[in-house]
Amino acid sequence: MDADSDVALDILITNVVCVFRTRCHLNLRKIALEGANVIYKRDVGKVLMKLRKPRITATIWSSGKVICTGATSEEEAKFGARRLARSLQKLGFQVIFTDFKVVNVLAVCNMPFEIRLPEFTKKNRPHASYEPELHPAVCYRIKTLRATLQIFSTGSITVTG
Amino acid sequence: MAERGRCPECGSAALVEDAHYAQQQLVCAACGCVLAEGLLTTTYTDEEHLREVAYSQSTGQKEQLSRCLQRGIRRVQDLCKVLQLPTVFEETAVSYFQRALQHPSFHLVSLEKKELLGGCCVFVTCRQHNWPLTMGTICSLLYAKQELFASVYLSLQKELGLSVPALSLGDLVKTHLNSFRLFQHAADVPAPFVEDKEKMVARTMQIVELASETWLVTGRHPIPIVTAAAFLSWQSLQPPARLTCTLARFCKLAGVDLPPPAHLRLKELLEILLRMASQLAWLRVFKVDKKTVVKHIGDLLQHRIFLLKNAFCLEDGEEQRAAAPGEGSLGGRCPGSARAAGGAAQEDGCPSEGKRQREGGPRPLLPPCLINPRKRLRTAAPSAADSAVTGDEPISDSEIEQYLRGPEEIRAFRKAKAW
Repeated sequence: MDADSDVALDILITNVVCVFRTRCHLNLRKIALEGANVIYKRDVGKVLMKLRKPRITATIWSSGKVICTGATSEEEAKFGARRLARSLQKLGFQVIFTDFKVVNVLAVCNMPFEIRLPEFTKKNRPHASYEPELHPAVCYRIKTLRATLQIFSTGSITVTG
Repeated sequence: MAERGRCPECGSAALVEDAHYAQQQLVCAACGCVLAEGLLTTTYTDEEHLREVAYSQSTGQKEQLSRCLQRGIRRVQDLCKVLQLPTVFEETAVSYFQRALQHPSFHLVSLEKKELLGGCCVFVTCRQHNWPLTMGTICSLLYAKQELFASVYLSLQKELGLSVPALSLGDLVKTHLNSFRLFQHAADVPAPFVEDKEKMVARTMQIVELASETWLVTGRHPIPIVTAAAFLSWQSLQPPARLTCTLARFCKLAGVDLPPPAHLRLKELLEILLRMASQLAWLRVFKVDKKTVVKHIGDLLQHRIFLLKNAFCLEDGEEQRAAAPGEGSLGGRCPGSARAAGGAAQEDGCPSEGKRQREGGPRPLLPPCLINPRKRLRTAAPSAADSAVTGDEPISDSEIEQYLRGPEEIRAFRKAKAW
């Protein structure tokens, strides 16, 4: 890297996955009948409910476990999860919003240079794994942070964890 | 022995004590006559002293392999024989398979996955010994889906902590070309199409190296590139007779599958060669196109370092003088070097930049997906309202009402009996 190329790298969070429990059994048929913006997947036993603001998709199981995806920040994820719990309350269930936890955060970053993946893998042997037949990116795992980075040859990096 | 006397049949003094199953017998070593037999049954006191370790506790039980493991090991050995691998590979693959099957994450998987596990062990062994074997070959031998094989392979690598070196392109080229049927005269291969193997391998290697220098190999599946490179090298060795042959016909004659991306790789390779040809002094006077450039591949490869430098590296002074201020940030790019500051602006400018370059002028040496981006790249623009979200704001009823159906709608749905 040149000393004069001080580029501020923008790392953009594109997805936050969170879970919470409602501590009560949920009747999926009732949610599918009385809720708008819902998709009932009867074969798998879950309901997908989409909120407009914030843009969140929630997967609801009858056990009361709910997974929310699509938020762009942890606060927005909590915002959306609470709205979802309130909607379920309005539908008539005795919902208690508990065990809220952010499970996964996905962020994207663009490097201002291209990366030669075979050489990169050779130099970062234990952490980096590159299988061009399977995926076009190098999978770099950081055990201490429990994070996985997907490094593409265009310089685009996807961080998950 | 003397006191036991002699054998009554032959008179020999060579008498031995031998056991016939559990019965001790005195036998003549010369003629086999049984002189005396021991007791068949013993008392309880005798048994106590003779009591051995129970079979379930003996090491014999542990050494016995389960049927599943035996079948798996046989499968691994068969795979090694089919691929004609050395014996060392077979032993290593079997040891990996045994280790993997004892691991809790593989012990109870389905039989289909256990078979794929055997294939993965063979694949890992080959890669560790730099034997060029592709996943496609193993999947076709096991009649397996690539996705399932990939998941088993990745979990094997993770659980056993195996380090698998990268696939060597050079070896892959040689192995892949070995399967081509164009090196010997055959009934369905016209005489002008037969080629010398050594020449074709050497030229294909050079074209593949050129492809890897120009960002055509990174991140892509290697086989389509090798196929396209083999086609170009074959055509260039005898252009008059072979220019009319298409890639599909070439693969059919060679007896190999045509992988779908090979057409795109061929197109990209030809584009690179055309750009290089524009810098070759004695070709500038000719109008070189995708067909005719094949005739000059030999010359282009011979001078490829010089031609790549000229065709793709932008001269600093020339670019900044010619370019508008907005484009100036892209100047001075050489193969593999860092972009100048203003990388964010580059993302907006790039799609139009590639087209704004003059047709014959040098272009930046970048991966093809950056030259023709299909995705709109994301720009980070968090609004002030979003940044103020804490997650604990009060929720209004009207906001929730939009997510619930009205009573008429519910009645209509019930009537329709959607499910």
